[in-house]
Amino acid sequence: MGSQSDSTPNSVDDKAQNPASQPSESTVNQGTVAKADVPNERATPSPFVNSEPIREEQVQNAVKFLSHPKVRGSPVMYRRSFLERKGLTKEEIDDAFRRVPDPTPSATASQPVVANQDGQLNSSSAIQQQVPTQTLQRAQAPSTGSISRLGLYQFHWSHVLYAIGFLAVSGAGTAVLLKKTIIPRLKSWIRKVVLKEEEGEPLVEKGNAKPNLAEEAAAAAKAAAAAAADVARASQEMLMSKTEEKRYFSELTNLLDVQIREMKTMSNAVQKLQDKGESSIPGRIATREEDDHRVSVVNSRQPYSNGKVDNRIDSVISSSPPSSVEPSAAPHPKSYMEIMAMVQRGERPSNIREINDQPPNPNQPVPNPRLVPKPKPWEVGQSQSSSGSGFQYQESSNGFTSGSQTIQLNADGSVPWWQQKNARITEIESEDEQNIRSSVPSEKPVQRSWVPPQPPPVAMAEAAAAIRQPKKPLLQKEQLTDDHLLGRASEVTDELQRITKISEAGGLEANGGNLANNASEIQKEEEQAYTET
Amino acid sequence: MPVFKVPFNGYSVKFSPFYESQLAVATAQNFGILGNGRLHVLQLSPSPANPGQPISEISSFDTADGVYDCCWSESHDSLIVAAVADGSVKLYDLSLPPTANPIRSLQEHTREVHSVDYNVVRKDSFLSSSWDDTVKLWTVDRPSSVRTFKEHAYCVYSTAWNPRHADVFASASGDCTARIWDVREPASTMILPAHEFEILSCDWNKYDDCVIATASVDKSIKVWDVRSFRVPVAVLNGHGYAVRKVKFSPHRGSVIASCSYDMTVCLWDYMVEDALIGRYDHHTEFTVGVDMSVLVEGLLASTGWDELVYVWQHGMDPRAP
Repeated sequence: MGSQSDSTPNSVDDKAQNPASQPSESTVNQGTVAKADVPNERATPSPFVNSEPIREEQVQNAVKFLSHPKVRGSPVMYRRSFLERKGLTKEEIDDAFRRVPDPTPSATASQPVVANQDGQLNSSSAIQQQVPTQTLQRAQAPSTGSISRLGLYQFHWSHVLYAIGFLAVSGAGTAVLLKKTIIPRLKSWIRKVVLKEEEGEPLVEKGNAKPNLAEEAAAAAKAAAAAAADVARASQEMLMSKTEEKRYFSELTNLLDVQIREMKTMSNAVQKLQDKGESSIPGRIATREEDDHRVSVVNSRQPYSNGKVDNRIDSVISSSPPSSVEPSAAPHPKSYMEIMAMVQRGERPSNIREINDQPPNPNQPVPNPRLVPKPKPWEVGQSQSSSGSGFQYQESSNGFTSGSQTIQLNADGSVPWWQQKNARITEIESEDEQNIRSSVPSEKPVQRSWVPPQPPPVAMAEAAAAIRQPKKPLLQKEQLTDDHLLGRASEVTDELQRITKISEAGGLEANGGNLANNASEIQKEEEQAYTET
Repeated sequence: MPVFKVPFNGYSVKFSPFYESQLAVATAQNFGILGNGRLHVLQLSPSPANPGQPISEISSFDTADGVYDCCWSESHDSLIVAAVADGSVKLYDLSLPPTANPIRSLQEHTREVHSVDYNVVRKDSFLSSSWDDTVKLWTVDRPSSVRTFKEHAYCVYSTAWNPRHADVFASASGDCTARIWDVREPASTMILPAHEFEILSCDWNKYDDCVIATASVDKSIKVWDVRSFRVPVAVLNGHGYAVRKVKFSPHRGSVIASCSYDMTVCLWDYMVEDALIGRYDHHTEFTVGVDMSVLVEGLLASTGWDELVYVWQHGMDPRAP
């Protein structure tokens, strides 16, 4: 078995490499390669391996399919699954993928987890857009959840940076503006005061010049102080507003985070329920397909089943039966629909209990088996029952009687109800049973399964005579021509065939031992008949 | 024929490979949408003189989430593996009291585990398939999975070990393909684009190790030979709605039992011209689980969303008293 497994990958690889170089002679090459690569104990390779040569036509159809722009945009897994459903083998699909240059996978299943700083904004917006669509996709929900969270975090930080920058710029701008407005105001105010003082000067004695100056200075100082106080107040207000804005921003981002988390959990719950609902009643998938859910069958099929598509692509797809053969959905029980509706609304059915089903001792040793495994009915009579597990198997004859119907008798001698059979079936079955039970003591236990037809019993004396007869005419009429001899030989074979057919139709009625003896007898006759000719 | 009423909606029923009269039933509350689950172990009492209790319960195990499937161990007569909707695979030991159970809870799948299957040839490992698109291989002695097979593009509804090759198994998925795997190979060895709609179940022919049956939402069962897998060997039509489970008979190589959302259990012989050989419509809701006993020829069991478990002999009326 070890060499068997080594050879099959080799043959698969060779098959994959060969057609790339020689597409026209692929069949011939593969035949020789496959045969040459199986030098093990089995004459033929495992039947569970696809040993078909690569079909070039299928590969070309697949290449056309993969080159279609719409197909390019779909995830790789869906493309593979589509081709598999169309009947392409793995080698053919790999070949087609190799022939079609694959550009950067834009929306493949494996999303880039690390987003660069350069393309941050683009990628983050792209991821954000894809988040609502991808959360609907069952297989990618966990990965995209983490990715979107990551993206949002980055978004969050960049957003904060931008906010801070904006605030700083705005603060500086307002400070500059305020200074620009305050200083002119100050100046104009000082001028007013000065003018007032100047106006007041000619009226007042000159002696008041100095105190006026002092007053002016005091007034100017006051004004400056007031202005400074204004500035201080303004800058304080600005700071407060800055911090407030920062707070508001952080609150906003927190709320957004919370919302997104809630949305994700909701969508997960909805997904789970939808999955359970959908997959536990796969009969309804047919109707759900029209709702364009996760089933990729329709996603990949719909764009191609309209007339816009290339004829050759249609030929790949038109091999499938028309979509009008969609199976009808089985009508579900009313209470099932009620429970589905309840769950989709988010309610929990009231009859669910909290159960702890964890193992109390996870290291509980597995018990020793109390019974020896019984041979299966299809293993009886074969010598290749495995002994890998080290159990002792009962011998075939014993195993036969115990593996098959051991009719347990109750205390009153009656048969258990599950072994009692219907009258009409027991007629047919009891015959088999009797045959088999009678043949058990013989050397060759007969299998209850399909037994190859044995040569017929010598139940028909005329047949036996007919078989034995050709010997005499052959001996006596030696002058017969070759045609005659051949004719006689064919008569014998015809006779034998006819008798064999009759006995087959009648079923195996005779004892196994008898059959064996008769078989050998007739075979001897056959040989003699043929050697005579 | 006796019937057993379970408190929750039935999901799967399996006969024990060791005891003729034992079977396990996996059930889930509220149709498996949201709720608890319970694994029942039932006993068929041999005495017909006790008509009040032809089927009785030996024990049951409660779970926090619904149990979608169960399977008996082929090596230990008291071990049961349960597939639970919270993504865990639980092991139960009947020889221990219920308070000591489960003995293992293997939590690795990220979605509901839809089916479990035990290896019949080497008897040392089992598979679990899940709605997270993966199949996992486990052994009883290890606390974590041996391998994960991730290739399907949608939920994997069913896995089945090959009855003759210890390393080969098949998986059926909602991506409309069935895949054949070899545990020694890194990837699947064959892809069968078996149906145009989701494939809900698959099973191997016990007497021809290259023949596999798939059951689908398209109401049909297709029988395939992996040696020439482009064209099915047989297409069995007759169910009115999606076919939920398909099982090859352990006693007759060409007989298949199936159950469907049309509330019936059907028996087919795919080698015969008129394939439908039996039809039982005893359930009043979706029939979701069916099994044929390995030890008793012709013994069938079925369960459905009508919370009933029926056990009957082929040819007899399951509802007969």
